[in-house]
Amino acid sequence: MNKTEPRKICSKCVLPESKPEIFLDEEGVCNICRDYEKTKEDNQKHVYLETEFTKMLKMYKSYGSYDCLVMCSGGKDSTAALYYMKKRYKLRPLAFTFDHGFETEDALENVKNAVEILGVDFLYFKTDYMNEMFSAILKTESKAVMCHLCSIWYMNLTFETAARYGIPLIIAGWTKGQSKQQPLMSRCGCNVHQAEFTSMAKAAKEFLDSYVKNEPKYKDFPVSMEEVLIRAKKRQKCAVLSPHWFLPFDSDVYVELIKKELKWKFPRLSYPAHTTNCYLNFISVHNSMKYFGYTHYHVEMSKLIREGLLSREEAIKNLEINFDQELLNKISQKLDYVF
Amino acid sequence: MNILGISCFYHDSAACLLQDGKIIAAVSEERFTRQKNSPVFPVNAINFCLQRSNLTIDDINYIGFYEKPFLKLYRVLLSHLRAYPFSFKNFLDTVPNWLEERLTLPLLLKKELGYEGKVLFIKHHLSHAASAFLVSPFEEAAILTADGVGEWGSMTIGVGRGKDIKIINEMHFPNSLGLFYTAITTYLGLEALIGEGKVMGLAGYGKPCYLDKFREMVIVKPDGSFMIDQKFFGFNKGSRMYSNKLIEVLGKDRKPQEKIEQRHCDIAASLQEFTEEILIIIANNLYASSRMDNLCLAGGLFLNCVANSKILENTPFKKVFIQPAAGDSGGALGVASYIYHSILNNNRSFVMQDAYLGPDFSQNQMKRALVNNGINFKEFSDEDLFKYVAQKISQDKIIGWFQGRMEFGPRALGNRSILANPGNPGMKDILNQKVKKRESFRPYAPAVLEEKITEFFKAKQFSSFMLMSAQVNEDKRTVIPGVTHIDGSARVQSVSKNINPRLWNLIKEFESITGLPVILNTSFNLNREPIVCAPEEAVSCFKRTQMDCLVLGNYVAEK
Repeated sequence: MNKTEPRKICSKCVLPESKPEIFLDEEGVCNICRDYEKTKEDNQKHVYLETEFTKMLKMYKSYGSYDCLVMCSGGKDSTAALYYMKKRYKLRPLAFTFDHGFETEDALENVKNAVEILGVDFLYFKTDYMNEMFSAILKTESKAVMCHLCSIWYMNLTFETAARYGIPLIIAGWTKGQSKQQPLMSRCGCNVHQAEFTSMAKAAKEFLDSYVKNEPKYKDFPVSMEEVLIRAKKRQKCAVLSPHWFLPFDSDVYVELIKKELKWKFPRLSYPAHTTNCYLNFISVHNSMKYFGYTHYHVEMSKLIREGLLSREEAIKNLEINFDQELLNKISQKLDYVF
Repeated sequence: MNILGISCFYHDSAACLLQDGKIIAAVSEERFTRQKNSPVFPVNAINFCLQRSNLTIDDINYIGFYEKPFLKLYRVLLSHLRAYPFSFKNFLDTVPNWLEERLTLPLLLKKELGYEGKVLFIKHHLSHAASAFLVSPFEEAAILTADGVGEWGSMTIGVGRGKDIKIINEMHFPNSLGLFYTAITTYLGLEALIGEGKVMGLAGYGKPCYLDKFREMVIVKPDGSFMIDQKFFGFNKGSRMYSNKLIEVLGKDRKPQEKIEQRHCDIAASLQEFTEEILIIIANNLYASSRMDNLCLAGGLFLNCVANSKILENTPFKKVFIQPAAGDSGGALGVASYIYHSILNNNRSFVMQDAYLGPDFSQNQMKRALVNNGINFKEFSDEDLFKYVAQKISQDKIIGWFQGRMEFGPRALGNRSILANPGNPGMKDILNQKVKKRESFRPYAPAVLEEKITEFFKAKQFSSFMLMSAQVNEDKRTVIPGVTHIDGSARVQSVSKNINPRLWNLIKEFESITGLPVILNTSFNLNREPIVCAPEEAVSCFKRTQMDCLVLGNYVAEK
């Protein structure tokens, strides 16, 4: 592993100093936390309540065979989302898992158990379509974060799938830290225009412009999440929601629930701790740390800290790097790259 | 069968969820909005009730509303008309709200909750009556309800048998003992809805030498029914509930910042005694007509623990039951119970033994609140916690005690409480100065081990909900001066090991250190704020006061 210079970290959240977007004041507090403090009162005025969610479920009522398409990675948040849609809201979900070839066996096992126990229809889509793009990121030493490109692709695929089955509602397992800003799901879980993502978004755009646009294989690849949404809108009226935005439960609560009800298990190896992410995530995290000094998980957990849903202590512990170069090389074999 | 009860739009809005006749959750909206006595539609409370019951709004079979809006509007319009032109400003302030939401509750329920199921309305005082009787331990009981005003009713008498409630008689607006009490409260410079309890405390310092004046204002008949001479009052006329005529009789009204004089204490004492007199006459008549041994009380007037105990002492009733949310918030509980038992004809099997019906929080959430606020803390085992905290109380430390599910109703009963040493004669002043900032005339309440209640208090029955007062035994008044009021009384909470084992264990440890099976228990809040609900609010209260010690679950933080 490449060791990066230790950066000063905000004393309130877990974001490191990363000028010009993220900078610390004399008290060691970052500008994002300071901005949050200014708008805290306004932010807290509107609490997302579950009854808002149930009203939206009615608003996007389906007249087809499925009420919602649940993006299910096998992680705790998306598995709990699937559970809630079936059991709590008594809907007819279609579970949807996309696998770019790097999903872990543990995650897929979790999905398999969940759909079997819940008795929901399941769509599993596996492809190596993105491999060349991932490989190019590594070989060209692009700073683009793989997860961002992947999310553009899978969101597009999800909207396409929802349209194909006439499903007006997509359910994700996004937490309050990933996105809570509305109008609902305008940016699919991640607002690339917020300061914490500026550098990452710029790197993604550069890569898309320089590589993807010129690669015949990817001529239809959306160049941004905005484009994904424009395409989706043309297909059908469709919303993306996460029950976790509206429910007050800590992840501890629903982890216990899905462990008991759906035989869900924590994966043997994952980053951050207590999550389920694909193998490629390790490479993505490695590169994010190398180029930016933090990852989108730092952004997510910082949000949760600000909202009092996670302690800084817990976040620091969860974000400790728990993998080595050997693992990275094992994963990157498929991409014809050696760290 | 899932029934959601709602009370709102006037004060103390709340929601209550009944599942197969059992109360699963009940909570006041003020605890979420952080605005005391919040009247708003209780959308947060409803969401909590649903989540606590693991239900969504689509699982609700009935929603019950605690009064009949059209009937109430009729009264509002008529009484404004009668008081015209003095009522014009009030009319403009009040009536638009009716047209906006109150008359169109089913539409509001659809808009706010997406609920399109059955909605039932029952009369305000029937909600109160149901809230007391249907969750009481009694198979049959006489029922007395009293408050400011519902639709027209201000007081009702009735009887409950099994699952049925029969209202025998009712008093109508403007003859309202509740409004009378509130009008004099405001005359004394104290705020309506908040100040009534303060008047009760103030009464201890006065002599009832204004009783004759009150008898001039209120004609009481032998059956206890009464007629208030409206020339002394103006319940609808404007910004003041009393008239110049009242000032002529009682003297100049007190402004909120003015000093409290002996005259004010005497008026408070007279008001309290006069109110008790009327209630006792009515209760005695109710006993005579019902011949029942048990009495259920409900309505805001019965948050007056002194009057409650006087009723028990001065009537043949053997037992009195008052549920902890005796005011309007309890209407949510009442209407839900009434629908389940009296309308849907289901037998009773649930007795309300405790008030712990609100939110609780995990150890992780409590820890996070401390960590995120940069507060150092230690974690204790249960046994060590009780010993350690009891020791601290015995050393005159003030403790913020946050445990388990929050209480329903206005009393903190040991889960959202501030605890202190009742043996210290200066404790009231210390608490007032360091934390509560309350008026010096207001007493603090004792929480006593249930089995030791008669050692310290002349109590005729247990008082789990702190809604009965009792005289402190004379030999104990100097032993627990911190909770003995000037008149020798105390607003007692009896603590049962079965119902609140953590508080019971703490008091037991305190007893082993000091010999006192009593601690001082007051609500965990600052003056004019609602009681804390979540750990973050407890931490905020701890930080803003000179409280010595904060106990969140098994975590202890100290200053």
